[in-house]
Amino acid sequence: MQSLTDELKNKIIKALNLDKIAPADIKDDEPLFGTGLGLDSLDALDLVSMLERDYGILIQDMEAARQAFASYRTLEDFVQRNRR
Amino acid sequence: MSSRRPVVTGLGIITAAGCGVSAVWDALRSNRSGLGPLTLFASPRYGRHQVGQVQVDVDQLAGVARGSRSDKLAWIAARDAIAQSGLAALADGAGADRKGVLLGSTVAGMLGTEEVFGRLLRGQRRRFAPMRYHECASATDLCARRLGACGPTATFSTACSAGALAIATAADLIENGELDAVLAGGADSLSRLTLNGFGSLLLLDPGGCRPFDAARAGISLGEGAAMLVLEAEETACARGARILARLSGWGASCDATHPTAPNPQGDGAAAAMQQALQRSGLSPSDIGCVIAHGTGTPDNDVMEARALRRVFGGAVPPFASVKRFFGHTLAASGAVKAVVCVQALGEQAVPANLGFENGDPKIGFEPTRAFQSRRLKHVLSNSFGFGGNNVVLVFSCPCSDPASTLVSVPRRPSAMPLAVLGAGLVSAGGHTMASVRTALAAGGVTPAWLESSAPFPLGRMRGYTCGHFGASGVISPDRRRRLGHLQQMALVAAKRCLPQGLPGWLSPDRACVAIGTGLGCLGETAAFVENMLKNEERAPLAGRFANSVHNACASQLAIEFNLRGLNSTSTHREISFEVALWHCASELRQGRADLALAGAADELSPYAQAVGHRWGWWNQNAPVIRPFSRELKGRQRPLPGEGAAVFTLARAGQASSPLALLRSVHFGRFVTPAGGPPEAQTEASWIRETLERDGVSLASVDLLLTGASGRPPWDDAYREVASALSVLRGHEVSLGAYKHVSGEHHSASAFGFFVALGLVRGEIEPALCLAGMPTAATVARPPRTVLLYTLAPGGSHALCCVCA
Repeated sequence: MQSLTDELKNKIIKALNLDKIAPADIKDDEPLFGTGLGLDSLDALDLVSMLERDYGILIQDMEAARQAFASYRTLEDFVQRNRR
Repeated sequence: MSSRRPVVTGLGIITAAGCGVSAVWDALRSNRSGLGPLTLFASPRYGRHQVGQVQVDVDQLAGVARGSRSDKLAWIAARDAIAQSGLAALADGAGADRKGVLLGSTVAGMLGTEEVFGRLLRGQRRRFAPMRYHECASATDLCARRLGACGPTATFSTACSAGALAIATAADLIENGELDAVLAGGADSLSRLTLNGFGSLLLLDPGGCRPFDAARAGISLGEGAAMLVLEAEETACARGARILARLSGWGASCDATHPTAPNPQGDGAAAAMQQALQRSGLSPSDIGCVIAHGTGTPDNDVMEARALRRVFGGAVPPFASVKRFFGHTLAASGAVKAVVCVQALGEQAVPANLGFENGDPKIGFEPTRAFQSRRLKHVLSNSFGFGGNNVVLVFSCPCSDPASTLVSVPRRPSAMPLAVLGAGLVSAGGHTMASVRTALAAGGVTPAWLESSAPFPLGRMRGYTCGHFGASGVISPDRRRRLGHLQQMALVAAKRCLPQGLPGWLSPDRACVAIGTGLGCLGETAAFVENMLKNEERAPLAGRFANSVHNACASQLAIEFNLRGLNSTSTHREISFEVALWHCASELRQGRADLALAGAADELSPYAQAVGHRWGWWNQNAPVIRPFSRELKGRQRPLPGEGAAVFTLARAGQASSPLALLRSVHFGRFVTPAGGPPEAQTEASWIRETLERDGVSLASVDLLLTGASGRPPWDDAYREVASALSVLRGHEVSLGAYKHVSGEHHSASAFGFFVALGLVRGEIEPALCLAGMPTAATVARPPRTVLLYTLAPGGSHALCCVCA
C-alpha cells in the first residue's frame, strides 16, 4: 500500500509538471481540485491520461473522473480497485 | 458613406452534408445529416466514431495538383463563391490591389504533417514534401494567387471562431475603404491531431453530436470549407452584381477565463452578441433567427443558452445549431454558419437543430425542432473558439432598409497616428534595448547548437535561440507548469511590455490583443502527435493539445491581464506580426478599443526545422546571418531563430509620453510569375502610395529597415526597392537590417519593430543597423522616421512606419 502511495504521488507530480511539490505535500484528505493542490479541469484530463498509461484504467467521461478525483485518498482507492 | 457597407455577392461551401450551396441547403431542408464513418485515415481509438467527412473525391474535384486536403477544400469553396459573384471576369489585373483574401485556418496541413511524423517514427524513408503545405497561410495564398488578389491578404487562427473572424475582418477592411472585394471564409480538414485532441478532452460523442439536447455528450468532428465574396455596396452595384445579403454588423470578444473551457455564465458570448447588434443598429427583437455555435458539449450549450437569455431576455428567437449536419468543422465552422445565414435569408426559412430530442432543464428553452419557413430580415450567428475567442456576425436581407440598419459611425482613416506605449522582448539578442544595441554593435549574435530528437532525428542544428529568457522570475510556477515554450516567451514579453500592469482607466472590454505566429506552438503539437502515434492513440496528452492551438499565446495574455476585447491570432507567414499590428490599429482607430497589445512569437524546435527543411527557408549548415552579404548560395537558407515581442498601443491623443508613433501599417500581396521576390519599381510605387495615403511623405523616411538575411534574391530585392525609392524621391534611401541578431523566423519583423523603436528614440545608432550595408547615404542621428519593410516567400509584403 505504501509503495502505491509513493508511486502514485510521484506519478501525479510528473504528469502535472508539479516540480515545486513534494509527494508529502499531497495530503491524503485534501481536495485535489479547486482548493488543496489547486488543480483545474485540464489537470484532471492529464490525470485521466496518466491512469490510462500507467494503470490501464480507461475513463470515458468526466463524471466518473470527478468522483475518483475528490481527494488523493479517493484516487488511490479508485486505482486500487480498477488497475489492470 | 452607406455605400462602403459590406454586401455578400457569392457563396461557396463543401461539407460532409454536400458540396455546393444548393446541395447543402437540400440536406438542411430534408434533415439529412452528413455524419458517417471515418474512412480518411485509420484511428485505433476513434475509428468507430461518427464524423463529418467530405465524401466526394477532394483531389479530383479541386483540380489542384499541389496542396493539403485543407487547401483543396478551400479552393473548391472559393471557386464556387468567386463564380457566383462574377468577380472572375475582373481577374485580369484590374483593381487587383483592391481585392483581398482573408481565411480562417487551424488544422491546415496537419493531416499531411502527421504522415511525415509517422514515417519518421517508423524509421521509414524521409519524405518532407507534405510539410510544404503545413502552414495556415497555405490555403490563403493558393486562393489569392488564383483570384489574382493583391490587396490585404491574411490568415487567422482563433481555433473554432477563425472563419467568422476572417469574415468580420473582411467587413472592417471594406468599411475602411482598404478593399473593394474580399474572399473570406475558412477551411479545415479532419486530422488525427484534432480527433485525438478533442478525445483527450473527453469532448467527443461517439454516436454523433446532439446540440442542446439533455443527453448531449460532446462534438462530432467534421471538415469542410465555406467562402463568402464580400464587396463594398458601391462597387458591387457599379458592376451590377446580385447582392445576396448584407453583413450588417459583427462583434468580437474574449472570455479571458480558461484556455479551452468557455466562461460558464456566457459573459464573453453575450458581450460579442450585444456588440454585433449595436453595430448593426438593431435591437434584439429584430433578429429573426440565430444560427448557434451549439457544439453539443455539455458546457458550450449551457453557456450559449445563458448568453442568449441575457441578450434576448424572454424572447429568444428561433435558434438552431447545424453541427449535426456537418460535424464541427473548426476554423471553417464560422464560415459554414455564415453561408447558412445568407441562404436562410434568401430562402426565408430556418433549419432544424438536428439531433435535438429532449430539452435540458439546465437550459430551459428549446431550439428549432423542424425546418420551417419564416419571414426573416436579420439573422445572427455565433462562433466561439478555444481561449474564449468569440465572434458574432449579423446578416440582413439585401432589401432591408439601409437607413434603419446603418449606424452613422464615421470611419477614421488609416492615417490616424497611434502611440506606442510599451515594448517587451524575448530574443536571441537579449530582452532590453541595451542588449539589442550591444548585439547589433557586435555585428550579430553567435547561434547556438541544438540537438534534435525524436520525432525529428535530423542531427545537430544551429539557431538563434533565446536561451534562458527569465520566465521563472516573471511567471509563477503554478502558471508556468501548464505553459509551452512559445506561450512562456509571449507571456514574458508581454509582462516586460506592461511592467506596471494595465492603466487604471482601462475597461477590460475595451482592451484588445492580436498576436502573430507563423508556425504556432510547435513543441506542444509535436509532443502531442508523437505520443499519439507511438502509443497508438492511448493515453493522450490533453494539456499539450490545449496548448497546441495557434491562439494559445493570445488567449494566455488575455487571461493574464484580463483583456476582454477582440482577441486575434494571425498566422500569415513572415507578415503575421504586421497583420496583428494592423488588427490592433484598426480596433483603436475605429474606437472599439482604448488599449491594444500587439505582438508576435515563434519558436525554434526540431519540428520547426523539419517544416523549414522542406519548405526550404532554413539550413543548419548555413553560415551565420550577414544581411546583404550574398554569402548564401543556391538553395542555402539562413539559420533559424526564435523570439517574441509585444507592444502596447493607444490612440495618440490618449497617451502622454509615448515611446514612438505608429504612422502607418499595411500588408498585401505582390505578384511574381516565378514565385520569387517582387519587381522593385512596383514595390516602390506601392510603398510611396501607401505612405502618402497615410499622410507620410516618402522624403521624410530616414531608414528602410528590412528583413534581409543574406539570401541573394531577397536581399537583392530589398536593395533594388531601396534604389527605386531613391529614384522616386530624388535622394538616397538608407538600408538597414536586423536578422543577424534575431535569426530567420516568422516573427522576426516584431524584433525589427523593437529595433525601429530604438532607432527613432536615439537608443540605437543607425550605423549599427547599417553595418556592412551597401549604402553611401548618411542617416540623420537619430532618424525621425523608420520604415519597417518585410517580404515573405509566398507573395506577401508589409510595411510599418515608426516615427519619433
